[in-house]
Amino acid sequence: MKKIVRIDMSDLSVRTEPLPEKWSRYGGRALTDAIVFSEVPPTADPLGPENKLVFAPGILGGTTAPNGGRLSAGAKSPLTGGIKESNSGGQAAHALAKLGIAALVIEGAPADKDARYLIKVAADGSVELKRVDEWAGAGNYAVSDGIKQMMGDVKRYATISIGPAGEMGMKMAGIAVSDPDGYPNRFLGRGGLGAVMGSKGVKAIVLVDEGLPTVEHADRDAFNAAVKKFAAALREHAVTGQGLPTYGTNVLANIINEAGGYPTRNFSSGRFELVENISGETQREVTLERGGNVKHGCHTGCVIQCSRYWVDKDGNYVTKGPEYESVWSLGADCGIGDLDDVAALDRACGDIGIDTIETGVMLGVYMDSGRLAFGDGKGALRLLEEEIRKGTDLGRILGDGAEATGKAFDVKRIPVVKHQGLPAYDPRPIQGIGVTYATSPMGADHTAGYSITANVLNVGGTVDPLKPDGQAELSKGLQIATGMLDSMGMCIFVAFAVLDIPEAFDAIFEMATAHTGQAWDADALMELGKETLTMERLYNEAIGFKPEDDRLPRFFYEEKLPPHDAVFSVSDADLDSVFDFVPETAAKMGVSKPGA
Amino acid sequence: MRVELALFASLRRYLPEGETGHERTIDLPDGTTVGQVIAMLGLPDEPRVVFVNGRHAPDDHVLRDGDRLAVFPPVAGG
Ligand code: SF4
Repeated sequence: MKKIVRIDMSDLSVRTEPLPEKWSRYGGRALTDAIVFSEVPPTADPLGPENKLVFAPGILGGTTAPNGGRLSAGAKSPLTGGIKESNSGGQAAHALAKLGIAALVIEGAPADKDARYLIKVAADGSVELKRVDEWAGAGNYAVSDGIKQMMGDVKRYATISIGPAGEMGMKMAGIAVSDPDGYPNRFLGRGGLGAVMGSKGVKAIVLVDEGLPTVEHADRDAFNAAVKKFAAALREHAVTGQGLPTYGTNVLANIINEAGGYPTRNFSSGRFELVENISGETQREVTLERGGNVKHGCHTGCVIQCSRYWVDKDGNYVTKGPEYESVWSLGADCGIGDLDDVAALDRACGDIGIDTIETGVMLGVYMDSGRLAFGDGKGALRLLEEEIRKGTDLGRILGDGAEATGKAFDVKRIPVVKHQGLPAYDPRPIQGIGVTYATSPMGADHTAGYSITANVLNVGGTVDPLKPDGQAELSKGLQIATGMLDSMGMCIFVAFAVLDIPEAFDAIFEMATAHTGQAWDADALMELGKETLTMERLYNEAIGFKPEDDRLPRFFYEEKLPPHDAVFSVSDADLDSVFDFVPETAAKMGVSKPGA
Repeated sequence: MRVELALFASLRRYLPEGETGHERTIDLPDGTTVGQVIAMLGLPDEPRVVFVNGRHAPDDHVLRDGDRLAVFPPVAGG
């Protein structure tokens, strides 16, 4: 029987309850959404005791389902002001699932603001809260070392932790999750969830899964057969079988740049003249030359293996990846064309505990104000280390992200939707991704509906990226599918194969059926995606989000982006059509507004 | 006519004359199509993504003097 473990930080009590029947078909994003939707009042202060921070493995977490160990974290976001699900790799989702935990919910807030706690869930399921006040202000890597010492002979465990930014309540603070080697380098980055964790006085969580088997299946043989089918499809598809494992996510730099959609120097151009210096091809060459690892999974059970480690000139580990999004945000968007500079910034973000995307967008905006030159990698690093890490007055403004920074320094081009910075694709020459940025309940988020597939990569069909036609429909389908994958606990990169290989899609519901013993089919998967989005939309509506919030900033409609001189031209009516299914799904679910 | 050619990721090794880097300018007879250049280079027969001047182009697209032709194997990330 799966359980929900609740830890109330107001009185340090721990409660365990069975996963209610009404949520028995939920996991990952659907479950974090359901708990926030039902239990966090839309009026709650995101950094107050009414907010809840929920960690949930997906429906397939803890199994051998390929790429099925992703982690969802949910809360009301201090950055967007709306509901948030942030997603990461790392070992924590498998550990939670093996511990039988469908959701770990952190509630309340301690009266003593100086208290720091470590929550430890032992392999027998017992929960212990330990004061670690001496870790106040420590970076994620130091916390990771501290936990290692504390654990002694216990070797198999996953960590979840925050750096100083989360403790200071900065709106771009993320949460670090340990990878298979124990590095705290996988990130629940977006939406300021690190600040929510900090507001609850929780510095770190340790989940011990030593000696625990993978979770049991309703029908083991059927499950294994579906796993085989799914893994074969992932290996067969050129993207998931070759492109991603060979070059990593940053293989995208050149193709997005070629398409004229690589946002450069705070979204003022779609091409970066130094792209070759920071491309995935160069990254692979340099990493290999220096003896770094260029192919591993971010969690056990990933068969695609797009992850890699960046090492310095002496071969010492610096950081993971860096991933495409981070190389773009900390590189091209800041006019920085040096991978060592980018990696140093990425490492600083990881240690301080701030989202790399929001940080790069913030830096680009700050540079646009004229206070720091575009291309000044050392100056950018100084801002992170001396201002944000130390929480100076300037650091607290920058630490609240791109919008806070742009407003404080009077920048006219502030690339955010629902207060969250735009990722690595300009929505003018790639209009499909603009629909996702504008309409996703998450704020500007590429993963929520990755229209780059059909717009640029010719995966899952083709839709002309420079035209508005068909973009709303494309984004809608992808947002629904993503809601489903995030709830299954699957890495969204499986979508590249799933969109092109029908058997791969079938294998997902076959795995779900064989694992849970519940009936799953294609329609049920899509229903799961719709229910997830419906809870998110209704929650945001209750907070007061309006159709006007589902728009891009004005400059994307007015300022032409070179080289294609494109502006965003998807109509408001098209944007408003993306969530047309919500009333019907809400009626089927029997919900109309947040609450029990 | 002269066309700028760029090959990416695993296709880099198909650049003519053992060039290093991934871009070079090539001379072509007028009226050459994208498909003809791809055949001339001996690129593997698999799905690929082709851009002419930053826009997707089919194999029968006729190149013009000064064009930039970029060819990618199937790639993705995010
Ligand atoms: S494909 Fe990459 S991001 Fe996805 S699970 Fe594997 S290593 Fe993690």
